[in-house]
Amino acid sequence: MPDFSILITHGVFHLFAALITLCSLMVVVSKHPVKSAVFLVVDLFLLAGLYASLDSHFVAAIQVLVYAGAILVLFLFVIMLLNLQPEELKGLKFSAVEAGTLVISLIGFLITIVTAFKGDQTGLGDGSLDPAAIETAGGNTYVVAMKLLTNYIWPFELASILILMAIVAAIVIAKKDQKKPAAQ
Amino acid sequence: MGLTADEFTIQFIATLIKFAIVAGLLLQIPPLMVWAERRIPAMMQRRKGPNRVGIFKWRIYGLMQSLADTIKLIFKEEVVPEGAQKAFYHLAPVFSVFPAFLIAMAIPYGPDIHAFGTIIPLSVIRVDVGFLFIFAVSSLAVYGITIAGWASNNKYSLLGSLRASAQMISYEIPLGMSLIPPVLIYGSLDLNKIVEAQNHFWKWGVFLSPLSFVLFLIAMFAETNRAPFDLAEAEGELVAGFHTEYTSAKFAAFFLGEYVGMFVLSCLASTMFFGGWQIPFIDVQKLDELTGFIGVSAIFGHVTLMLKATFFMWLYVWVRWTVPRFRYDQLMSLGWKYMIPLGLVNVVLTAVVLAAVRFS
Amino acid sequence: MVPVDFYFVLACLIFSLGLFGALFRRNLIMVLMSIELMLNAVNLVFVAAGRAIGNVDGQVMVLFVITVAACEAAVGLAMVIALFRKYGTINTDILRLLRG
Repeated sequence: MPDFSILITHGVFHLFAALITLCSLMVVVSKHPVKSAVFLVVDLFLLAGLYASLDSHFVAAIQVLVYAGAILVLFLFVIMLLNLQPEELKGLKFSAVEAGTLVISLIGFLITIVTAFKGDQTGLGDGSLDPAAIETAGGNTYVVAMKLLTNYIWPFELASILILMAIVAAIVIAKKDQKKPAAQ
Repeated sequence: MGLTADEFTIQFIATLIKFAIVAGLLLQIPPLMVWAERRIPAMMQRRKGPNRVGIFKWRIYGLMQSLADTIKLIFKEEVVPEGAQKAFYHLAPVFSVFPAFLIAMAIPYGPDIHAFGTIIPLSVIRVDVGFLFIFAVSSLAVYGITIAGWASNNKYSLLGSLRASAQMISYEIPLGMSLIPPVLIYGSLDLNKIVEAQNHFWKWGVFLSPLSFVLFLIAMFAETNRAPFDLAEAEGELVAGFHTEYTSAKFAAFFLGEYVGMFVLSCLASTMFFGGWQIPFIDVQKLDELTGFIGVSAIFGHVTLMLKATFFMWLYVWVRWTVPRFRYDQLMSLGWKYMIPLGLVNVVLTAVVLAAVRFS
Repeated sequence: MVPVDFYFVLACLIFSLGLFGALFRRNLIMVLMSIELMLNAVNLVFVAAGRAIGNVDGQVMVLFVITVAACEAAVGLAMVIALFRKYGTINTDILRLLRG
């Protein structure tokens, strides 16, 4: 019954896509920052579900672990620390109609570009790593790890240096200015 | 997927059944643990503990006390504080229970069943990155606590929730790091494969990587906000922590989340360090062929895992009534200054030894 | 298998919404969150396209994007805190020192 499975995959995709779009919209238009952050968590979780449906289990797990589990907690902490109140959405420089028109035209423009001008796809990938090949090569995680630690070893090391710099920078920026003890 | 329609149907039905069984099992844990947490310290302190409530004349060691408590808790009046953020206030218990239940679905509760012409794994969600899945979802548990404290509009709740979530984030790192050496040793992220690799007594994680086990044990107590790291609920300082303003069924939901979280980590500890469903000196996977009944191995494996998990649950209670509470700065310096460096050293050492063994 | 175009269209939607948020919201934290949305749209394109042409480079790239996003969030939030300490607000309409 091939039709049945196609029905399920399409149904799941469309359900997820609708929920993701809705959550993204709520992230952008919610007045309260905490509400936005919670919708963003749900959004990231659903996106991880889509990654999993694309056979990218490792990326899906990392998405939830790093994005939803670490970065968004940081956002939530800062929002609560600063005790941010709901934002006044009135008095924007653009009216809702203008903004809506802009967004919709932007969406239309992007979709047109993406679907109409695909360009030449030859040479992008030889299709050698379709799901079956990945499965025989030792699973998605293994293949990604091999790629990451051979072809991309220098970017990988650079990323670790970037993280170190970000840690130091964040601490230096956020640290309270300590008053120097008076010289005596 | 590579499944035929029949196989798909069987897997689908099997998943539903497994889901029902696991969810039902998890719901039994809080009442049992509440009972155990009153009877065990009573035993240790040579007093009786609750032993009156029973059905008719059978008292069964006061086991029905939990039932009575549950009924009382659910039928209490529900009070919502006036200044609360209503939507988040009602959602927070859900955020707290959902991750715990989702993780429990990924634990392998027994060896695969070969039946009906297909292979039925004994975990509800079988993913090849089960280990990462568990950590990813458990990192979501912070939200329930943070949002609960913030939405109650109470300064004690907020302080308690910030304490608890900072503690959980800090100890997630050593918890994850302590499990990397076993993953390196067994060479898989799939929990079922990790268990299958521990098919001999001396191949258990606790013997191959003892330092990891110690780190995991400490981080496990901190991650679930249990004594001696239960600063979030420090009664004397914070009233009761993040759930001060919660009453009735929502209060019970936080307890459910906490106890299920404890149970899941106990199962994880058994899986990674004590061979999961493997019984020492017996090949569990062969039991089906030996006895001729399908499912014998699954039942034996499951009971073994539950016994091992019970030991850890008992350990939780034992430690709670033995060790005094840490101070907050002690907790943080233990986590960041001792456990994370030790965890890193442990990972590097394990990797070097493994490389030396494999490439020599 | 769902056609890859569907994923692209979804990514366009998310990206546009993120861009809208980044341009129109006046709370700096909201701007940062909108940027995270845009990054996620790009991640979705990477994964979907990688799956469609049959290689895993897209997934590796997503890992790098997530790393950079984490760094960006850490430094960005630190700057938000520093700004809040200095000016008592993180509204972009008020923080306009350079515009006089």
